[in-house]
Amino acid sequence: MNAETGSETMQKQPLPWSTAARIAWRELRAGKAKFLFVLLSVAIGVAALTGVRGFSTSFARTLLEQARSIMAGDLSARMFRQATAAEAQQLDRLASPQAGLGVRRTVVTETVSMAMVQGDPVPLLVSLKAVDPADYPFYGTVTLSTGADLRAALTDETVVVDDNLLVRLRAKVGDQLKIGGKWFRIAAVIMKEPDRMTAGVGLGPRVMMTRHAMEETELLQPGSRATERYLFALGDKLKVADVRAQIEKILPDAQVTDFRETSPTLTQGVDRATGLLSLICLVAMVLGAIGVAMAMRAHLQQRIEILAIMKSIGAQSSDILRIYLIQTLFLGVVGALLGVVLGLGVEYAFPTVLGRLLPLRPEIRLPLSPVLAALGTGVLTTLLFCLPPLLDVRNVRPSLVLRRMVDSGNGEGWVTWLKEHKVQLASIVVILAGLGGIAAALADSMLVGKWFAICLAGLLVFILGLSAVTLRTLRAILSRTRLHLPSALRHGLANLYRPGNQSSAVLAALGTGVMLILSVFLMQRSIVNALHEDVKVDTPNLFLIDMSTQEMPGIRAELKKQAGVIGDLEAVPIVSARMESIDGTKVEDLKLKNYPNRLLRNTTLSWADVTPDGTKIAEGKWWTGTGGADLAVVDRVAKRLDLKVGSKVTFIAGEKEIPVTVTAIYKIVGEHAFARSEFILPKVQLEDQPAVWYGDIHARPSAIPEIERALFATYPTVTVINIADILQTITGVVDQITIVIRFLAGFSILSGLIILASSIASTRFRRIREVVVLKTLGATRNRIATVFSVEFVVLGLLAGAVGTLFANVLSRILLHRMDVVFQRDVRGSLTAVVGTAVLAVVTGWVASFHILGQKPLEVLREE
Amino acid sequence: MIEVKGLKKSIRNGTRTVEILRGIDLLIPKGQFAAIMGASGSGKSTLLGLLAGLDSPTEGEVILDGIAISKLEEDKLAEVRGRRIGFVFQSYQLIPTLTALENVMLPYELNAKGDARKKAEPLLVAVGLQDRLHHYPVQLSGGEQQRVALARAFVLEPPIVFADEPTGNLDSANGQHVLELLGERHRESATTLVLVTHDPQIAERADRRIVLKDGAVLSDEMQGLAASVAGAGTTR
Repeated sequence: MNAETGSETMQKQPLPWSTAARIAWRELRAGKAKFLFVLLSVAIGVAALTGVRGFSTSFARTLLEQARSIMAGDLSARMFRQATAAEAQQLDRLASPQAGLGVRRTVVTETVSMAMVQGDPVPLLVSLKAVDPADYPFYGTVTLSTGADLRAALTDETVVVDDNLLVRLRAKVGDQLKIGGKWFRIAAVIMKEPDRMTAGVGLGPRVMMTRHAMEETELLQPGSRATERYLFALGDKLKVADVRAQIEKILPDAQVTDFRETSPTLTQGVDRATGLLSLICLVAMVLGAIGVAMAMRAHLQQRIEILAIMKSIGAQSSDILRIYLIQTLFLGVVGALLGVVLGLGVEYAFPTVLGRLLPLRPEIRLPLSPVLAALGTGVLTTLLFCLPPLLDVRNVRPSLVLRRMVDSGNGEGWVTWLKEHKVQLASIVVILAGLGGIAAALADSMLVGKWFAICLAGLLVFILGLSAVTLRTLRAILSRTRLHLPSALRHGLANLYRPGNQSSAVLAALGTGVMLILSVFLMQRSIVNALHEDVKVDTPNLFLIDMSTQEMPGIRAELKKQAGVIGDLEAVPIVSARMESIDGTKVEDLKLKNYPNRLLRNTTLSWADVTPDGTKIAEGKWWTGTGGADLAVVDRVAKRLDLKVGSKVTFIAGEKEIPVTVTAIYKIVGEHAFARSEFILPKVQLEDQPAVWYGDIHARPSAIPEIERALFATYPTVTVINIADILQTITGVVDQITIVIRFLAGFSILSGLIILASSIASTRFRRIREVVVLKTLGATRNRIATVFSVEFVVLGLLAGAVGTLFANVLSRILLHRMDVVFQRDVRGSLTAVVGTAVLAVVTGWVASFHILGQKPLEVLREE
Repeated sequence: MIEVKGLKKSIRNGTRTVEILRGIDLLIPKGQFAAIMGASGSGKSTLLGLLAGLDSPTEGEVILDGIAISKLEEDKLAEVRGRRIGFVFQSYQLIPTLTALENVMLPYELNAKGDARKKAEPLLVAVGLQDRLHHYPVQLSGGEQQRVALARAFVLEPPIVFADEPTGNLDSANGQHVLELLGERHRESATTLVLVTHDPQIAERADRRIVLKDGAVLSDEMQGLAASVAGAGTTR
């Protein structure tokens, strides 16, 4: 008989994958409940990542859309001439869909002119804006008093105007207005012009007309003072920076800006939100990975004895590797898919849940990249935690089936250990690199990504070291004091370091979780506070242009009388000047990129002897006292002109030559009068020059028409620009950021807690045997629960303390880099430490509850 | 044929090294039924583990049908275990997540080609479990589980079967039944059978009785029919 089967059995080849899959499947089918637990753990981890990432991507896109509306495009190129035919051709190439670019563009022409209404011969200086209503604006909308669409309202025979113009000319909608040589009908009042702040602050109230109408007025003659603003819309695929570089090349003398430069508050808000969302995504990924890891670890540990049995009946290591690789991958993939579905569900549910709070509804598409990232994370983490132990299968001694106690550790050196585990180590390195790649793709912010990785690695090394030291110390202390301690306490503490305990793994998982959760909490708190700091209620919403030095005291007094005005007038003096040279080089000879020389030939200076509100020094120092030959430059211009602290600049104002040295470079941090200044000098340098003043105040929106009328009565030449609507856009966005940040932070904290709880619960299987033995020996449930509580409290406190420490370090570093003040939160930190201990004990109890009720024989029989 | 030369095994227990086997020499010819006896801790299970290649000795050699298994690398060893050895354990060691039939099919699927079910089912019928094919181990009594284990040990018709206290966890009726089945399979397929037990009554059924004490052979004698035929009984 032996001979008969001999021929069959002697041709041992690797187990076919199909057979391996069949064997793996049989096992899965049998232990449905246990596998469901593993599947759910994987799914929750992956769901958290999918949901958070998907929603934050949609949200960030919507936010950016709002930010773009302030420029009405993605990019703008401002010139004092029209593009030449050759340039236009190159710009057309950007627009051609064949080149795969499809950049849309429209031109906005701005100039000043006189306007008068029928029956009143006194003309008014107005700032004209000619647009193509078919394209303009690319983002945001022009809101009109009649509720009509701009395309419908604006024809070649009509204009739409500022409310201010009607006040000054005592005109009304429907009246005729003469501009240049042509009469127009006033079709509506402009309630909101999205790019009012980025359009040049012109003189006089706004009048908007079509480009064709502008030509008909014959105002634009060669040499007339007009600005051409090309607006570009990029669509989804193109990067702003790439297109910007191309446009800068095509139009070398144009001032190119992108939407991120328009509102510092908004951009900073969006940047911080992106940073935090990026952190939240990474947190979700790591938490998800922990969930997957703990589930898989527990799953494999229960399989070790089965592996031994398989080996004893002749399974080769490679057979076992195949069977369990298929099985774990199946669990990983199915769990991950389930998680993606769950995550998408959550993501679609967000806007419904938040519907009332969120004025904007992020447009949700099937987020392919987050789904892939989540799937990849799930599967790679599964491999990371399953492959090394599976590769270790060759070291599983089949004699495990004969006796539980196996020869533990041969006391070889670590070099031997490394040699023996080189395959495992190599696989770990490869998989970690894969996860790192996913993390890098998830972290939109390199800053966040870098520090996150450093702190995570630091924490892991620290916590594993700490757990080794603590457990050793505990052992030393216990061996001395053990007889003096109550026996339940003794037993609980001893549990921490007994062979086969997972203390280190649980500590690492729990500590990491606490660090992540608390960092998110601390960061969202500080960022939300900072956001609200930036858009305080008294942020100016009314700009006053062209006030003379003589008028200033009177205007201040008039504004003081107005009940609707909140706070004082902030004013910045403007002196016309031209720049003569930089570091001895004449301006004409400077090779400037994307800064029209004309801007330097006709620039404006301001004075201030202390750092003005709304600016912050980025480099150097503001002068002290009355100052001397000093100059402060805004960072944006300093970069373009390549100015450093110490650069020598000469201006000419009137007839006077003003040589100064750059002593400070400042940046703009809020919507204030000085936000529009580019060069600030000490007062002594400019006070003898004729100056006009630009100012801003905050007024109750309802009182604005009244204020406009009062100012016009006494100071008819002063232009008032109402940006209350635009400001509302900004505060609206900031409020939304706040809500979403809080919600996502809450969501990731909650899912983190669930995952941590399940990681503690996953240790329950190893407790079954112990409980049974204890019960057989007559231990009550209470007694066993006490023993476990001691163990969990110690684990929770240790992990909580280390996690809290690292959370404070990580969020402090990140916030510092994001220019946000870190707010220490002692109560929050303490809560985290104690909370972790409580969580550990409670989940420990809940997970063990079932075990405590089990009859010893049921388990012993399974042995 | 099983040859054992100067077999030693020690394990480390914390800082101490414990010698479990202190040098054992044996020769078990093909087709023999040998019983290994000894008190608890005498080293009989360890010896069996080493004979079956479940563990590696500290010193000495085990040669199965001319193959020195002690020096074999893990995968070769697995191959030997799969093809040449059947094993029956005291605590059955069935895979809890597989049904009775699947447990018996498993070694075949791992080590041979062909229809595993065709081999496994008749064996289960032969041990009287025709109604229990699709039951999981927890749904079977101890005796039934051990009979599944028995069927599993014989599914590849190995030339050598090792049994470690196969009736240790069973009542006497079930124990009897298992022993009878074991004997039957042994006779039918002319298998070499090595059985560890501390029950003298079971040992009496064997052709040869080897007694261990403190990791060394205390006595080794042929008995019954085999003794009269071969006269090979020896005492240390």
